[in-house]
Parts: sequence; C-alpha cells; structure tokens
Amino acid sequence: MGYRAEYLLRLLKAAAPTFFAFFGVLLMAAPLRLFEGVAPTPIIPLFFVFYWSIYAPNYLPAPSVFAVGLLQDFLTGGPLGLWAAVYLAAQFVVMSQRSYFAGRDRSVVWMGFLMAALGVALLFWLTMSLMAGRLLPLGGLAYQLAATVILYPVFDLFFGRLHRRVLVEA
Amino acid sequence: MEYLGQNKREGLGRKANSRFLLILLILVSLLLLLSSLYSARASVFEKAREGVLDATAPILEIISGPIRAVNDIIGYTSDYFSVLEQNKALREENAVLRQWMNEALELRETLAAYEGLDTFSSAPPMRSVDAFVIGEANSAYAHSMIVNAGRQRNIEVGQAVIDDRGLVGRIVDTGTRASRILLLTDVQSRVPVYIEGADVDGILVGRTRARPAISFTESAEPAELAPGQRVLTSGAGGVLPRGLPIGVIDGERREEIVVRLYANYNRTRLVRIINYEFPSIIDGNAGAQVESRAAATPSEG
Repeated sequence: MGYRAEYLLRLLKAAAPTFFAFFGVLLMAAPLRLFEGVAPTPIIPLFFVFYWSIYAPNYLPAPSVFAVGLLQDFLTGGPLGLWAAVYLAAQFVVMSQRSYFAGRDRSVVWMGFLMAALGVALLFWLTMSLMAGRLLPLGGLAYQLAATVILYPVFDLFFGRLHRRVLVEA
Repeated sequence: MEYLGQNKREGLGRKANSRFLLILLILVSLLLLLSSLYSARASVFEKAREGVLDATAPILEIISGPIRAVNDIIGYTSDYFSVLEQNKALREENAVLRQWMNEALELRETLAAYEGLDTFSSAPPMRSVDAFVIGEANSAYAHSMIVNAGRQRNIEVGQAVIDDRGLVGRIVDTGTRASRILLLTDVQSRVPVYIEGADVDGILVGRTRARPAISFTESAEPAELAPGQRVLTSGAGGVLPRGLPIGVIDGERREEIVVRLYANYNRTRLVRIINYEFPSIIDGNAGAQVESRAAATPSEG
C-alpha cells in the first residue's frame, strides 16, 4: 500500500466514529416509526457519544460531539445548543468515570449507560420545562429512555466489534 | 475491558482532545442556547435553520426511502393477518358512507341552486401542494415533521397542513426545498378552533401528549360540551382557513377539555399544504359581500 493510500485509510478510520454519529442523528430524524410507531425512536447519537467517550475519547473528540448535538438541534427544530450541551455534559461526566469502567463487565457498562441516559433525560426535561414555563409530562420521555437503554447492548455488540477489529486493529 | 488504553493510537482529536476544549464547547453551547432563547426568530438563526434544512433534505429523502419500503412490507404482512376483520369493518363503513354519499348528492343540488343566486359569493379557492414526510423530530418535547416541499413550491410560514384525516399542523420553517411542520401536539402549538354545535371559540393548545387541550378565553360563557362533538379550525387570526377538521372532543381531564385528533401521526406520510388567501376587504368587485363575510368570522388577537 502506498504512503498516500495508507494515510487516507488512517484518516478515514479516525473520522469514522464522527461519521457514524452524524448518520445516527440523521437516522433519528428520519420517520423510523418502529413497530408502526408504537415503539419510540431511541436517542441514537447517545450510543455513539457514550461508547467512544468511555473507550476511546480521541475517536470522538469534543468538537465532533458539539457538531453532532448541534445538528440534532437543527433537525428537531428545538432551541439551538441544547443537545450539544447535553451530549457534551454527558461526555464530560462519562470521561471522568473512565477509570471505573476500565476492565469491567459489559453489564456494568450497561448500567453506566443507564445512568448516563437518565442524566441526559433529566437535563433535557429540565431545560424544556424551564422553556415551556411548566413541568412537562414525563411519559413520552420515559418510553424513549427505555427504548434507548434496551437497545444499547445491540449497539455495543456491533460497534464494539467494529471499533476493535477495524478501526483500531486492522 | 482489555481494550482500554488505546488512546495513543490515532483518532480525530489526538492532539486537540483536552478537558479545556470540552468545557469551552459546553460554555459555547450554553451561550448559544441562551441567545437562541432570547431571539429565536433572529435572522441569523433563521438563516442557519433554513440552510441546514436544505442541506439535509436530500439525505433525509434518501434515508426515508428504504424505511418507507420496510414499513410497507411490515404493514402488508400485519394487514394480511387481519384481512377478515378489516373486511368486515370496511363493509360496515361502506354502508354508512353510501348514505353520506346520497346526502352529499342532494346537498350538491341544493347548493347549485344557491350558487345561481346573484347575492352568492363563494369563498376563495384553496391552492394546495402535496408533499411527502421525509423527517420527524422523534423527540419527546419537540413535535415536528419535515416535508419535501419548500419555497420553490410556494410554501410559506403559517400555512395549514392536512392529510386524509384532518389537520396535521402548520408550517413553521421553510427552506427552498423542504419545510418544517409544527404538529398540533407540540407545546408551542396554538390553533384557533371552534366546536361544532356549541357555538364557542377556543384555542387548541398542544401539551406534548397525544391529545391536545382547548383553552377558552376567560370572557367566554361556559358552554355545554359533550364528548364526540367535532372540533374545527375557526379561521380567527387570519392564518388558517376556517372549517378544517381537527378532531372530536374526548372528555374532560383535570379541568381541561381534551381533543382526540383525527390525524394519526404514526401514519402521516403524504400531506397537503394549503395556500389560502383570506378574502381581503379592499379586494375589488365583490367588496360588500366579502366585507360581511370577513365580519362574520370572529377575530381575536
């Protein structure tokens, strides 16, 4: 492989998580309507932010998280900067707990994700309630949270493998 | 996991990754949040929203294609298992609809007689644009959809959006090729409505739940409302045309009158955007009648 091709490949690998996260935002903005709309759409970008914050923050640096959050703000039509702030806060907290998660079992990491998702939901709910001027109902958010947490292991299985086998090793 | 500690390898932020940058970006986004709250309609944000809408519309259209196909297959298979019940329900509905058809044909004749009168002036025609839903907010507190029609097809902010069941929402952002619909369930949604048969006006207020509530002006006299009464747009405020069906009264919950919408947002796919120009009083020939018509529609601020 030539020098240039190798450089390109390395660049591609380094940028892959950011691309995935962007695609996650776009997928979340598409009319997915899982199970004919009965199941809520999970907060897909949170998977990416959590996974790479815990295992390899260099692959999804803060500017990428910021851009991902901002794109989500634009696509949902909500206040600008809200999801950017929420995701960055999640990254900050998760990164500070990296040493705890090092070498732990998958289920422990899953619990960690549950905590992170709860925190994210709480922040989101508080901000939106503050803006609406009253406490908003929690029902819809709770369903979405449940869908997000339940789907995390599936994501972890797939992207964990991808990260270890393709992005880091090959 | 044994895979930790690999951050010496390359990543996008190999050099840039630092806690300082992270905190700085948090501050930036908080600042952005505050400024976009205080001036949500500032031209900078508006332009940015339109730009992103236009840039992402083609991608969303590509993504929503396969999703639509998969959902169709799932829909067909689940339909297949309930063919008998559906057939029965459709036959019953057909019998009712046939009666309605006869009634409508009679009414059409009566109407034709009225239209022949000199004093009759018809409401201005509605022009409409059909569009597909290509995006959805999928957020617990921001309820909106993105459709693949924009300023290029004369879509403007404020226009009503309906589907085959009833009112879906109204346009809040327009790009050149895509625009955003604010759904009736969104917290920010306010639509002037009236209740058929009760002769009261109110405002339909979204509350993030599936069923929005009607709030009445304080001066309004208490009206007798029963579940099942139809709720339609009142045309007050001069934005949405009068008489678009919204839903039926569902009942009272915690001192709020709750409306069951006709629109089913899980199935909204093809929508019609209505470009309706209200009859203006200055308008040339049929001046007097138009004026009386405008006066007949109650207007409130």
